[in-house]
Amino acid sequence: MSGAAAPAAVDTRVDLAGIALRNPVLTASGTFGYGLELAPFLDLRRIGGLVTKSLTLLPRSGNPPPRIAEAPSGMLNAISLENVGVEAFVAEKLPALPDGVTVIASVFETEVERYAEVCKRLTGVARIAGLEINASCPHVKSGGIEFGQDPKLLGSLVRAARRATTLPLLVKLSPNVTHVEEMARVCEGEGADGLTLINSVQALEVDVERRRPVLSNVLGGLSGPAIRPIALRMVWQTSRAVRIPICGVGGIATAEDAVKFLLCGATAVQVGTQNYLDPAVAGAIADGITAYAARHAFPRVRDLIGALELPAP
Amino acid sequence: MPAPLPKPLRIDAEVADNACEGGANHRLRLGVPGWPGFEPGQFVMLSPGAIGAAPRTDPLLPRPMAVYRASGDEVEILYKRSGRGTALLAEARPGERVRLVGPLGRPFAPPLPGERALLVGGGTGVASLYELARRLASGARHASGARSEPQASGAHRAGEVSILLGARTASDLMGRADFVAFGARVRVATEDGSAGERGLVTDLLEAELARGGPARVYACGPTPMMRRCADLAAARGAAACASLENHMACGFGVCLGCAVPVRSGGFALVCRDGPVFATGDVVWEGLP
Repeated sequence: MSGAAAPAAVDTRVDLAGIALRNPVLTASGTFGYGLELAPFLDLRRIGGLVTKSLTLLPRSGNPPPRIAEAPSGMLNAISLENVGVEAFVAEKLPALPDGVTVIASVFETEVERYAEVCKRLTGVARIAGLEINASCPHVKSGGIEFGQDPKLLGSLVRAARRATTLPLLVKLSPNVTHVEEMARVCEGEGADGLTLINSVQALEVDVERRRPVLSNVLGGLSGPAIRPIALRMVWQTSRAVRIPICGVGGIATAEDAVKFLLCGATAVQVGTQNYLDPAVAGAIADGITAYAARHAFPRVRDLIGALELPAP
Repeated sequence: MPAPLPKPLRIDAEVADNACEGGANHRLRLGVPGWPGFEPGQFVMLSPGAIGAAPRTDPLLPRPMAVYRASGDEVEILYKRSGRGTALLAEARPGERVRLVGPLGRPFAPPLPGERALLVGGGTGVASLYELARRLASGARHASGARSEPQASGAHRAGEVSILLGARTASDLMGRADFVAFGARVRVATEDGSAGERGLVTDLLEAELARGGPARVYACGPTPMMRRCADLAAARGAAACASLENHMACGFGVCLGCAVPVRSGGFALVCRDGPVFATGDVVWEGLP
């Protein structure tokens, strides 16, 4: 914010699947609440936008403790998509956000029809700029991973969501697959406007003294810097496989991390676990990307997208 | 009626002093420009070594720490070096910076008029109770028209607040001298008898409650200790609250990692709904 790098000279705007963002930094679903929780620490208008906690048709309670575990440069979580439900979100949470904050609603459910119903209820709600289908939550037995891991299920889900909404539609993909490009092509074929990747990586941690899993749910999702190179690889592979834009997420902690995702083909990025450690970090990352563009003489941040220079074959 | 809570801040605080006080006990003093003040029982999240262009990522998560006391822009934390996070914190030298987010959480409610306050601190749990004790002791003196400086008669009036401190052994005791310094009535129990009475701090509570009369118990310490306090208070019809500890990644209600089961159904978050809970609201047998 010092202005030393003359960031005003850089055009920071990007278009993500038809969603106009003032800069490419979003906050990832499940790491930013409904936005207001972070407002004491960060002017929400400094970031491109936020993705809400995943919303279900009815309010949902989470798993018993322990729900989180620390891991090397990362953490496991098994919260199980606790949320207030779509009605309470629209009635209570959304109106409390300051004007000028771009909101993307994350949608989760256990059946295709219910996913579509949540999408319908969010469509036409003022303030919601787009939807992100959470097809990849790795710790809910009756949904999540099955959708993201099975191309047929995933295709039927995206088709139903596409019919249910006119809003820009992103699909958040699971990393827990062999060929993420195959899943990406399925989404593109069914009318998704963009892709978000990656969700957390399915993982297990053990309390060796007690000879028990640390998490009550046994399995959890690994996030944080530990997964960043995996996320970067998948974003790069996917960006070469589809034409729709990609929002890159996974272990981003600094502006340099975010720039790597842009270079590898992401149109925007999401900051996740790092919000827990530093609730102001998304703003600093947005400023840092601008400073990087200025330092490297890119007049527009969007010129960084896919600007990775590969070695000659 | 409760005053609005101070607005939390996120700041790279400067270490003013960070000293070992014997055994694993440490006292950290941080310079926090713009510190908004805090209420007794609130906490901060501290990330040592996480600042800079290449922030340390292992261990990744900040650590919740009770605010022990604060004066102006200086915030004091008592902590025990017990794992990798606190070991890293113990290495922070004066002049270095530690990311601080806070103050966070809902504080202790004061006792009702006529209630004796019984503060029970086990191990590092003592750190959550100092400010409450100080304010109650000071309030007791003010209420009775005495001067605020500690004196023989002041100690008696401050006796409406009893502070019960427990630890395994004398070297694990924290903050005892600070409590004595403002004239509070302090009783100590150690499991090995190396300081105060031999036994558990909950034995001291049992004896205090047996004196009868309206009382309010404030507990912070290991879960079995707090659960025992809850049972003893319930048996005597005393009000009781406890400041719970839990693993948490954020401290401000978004990671949802610090859930505890509550009697009303579902879960409450230690960071947002606590850390102070009425002991009757907590499903103690559901804690991990």
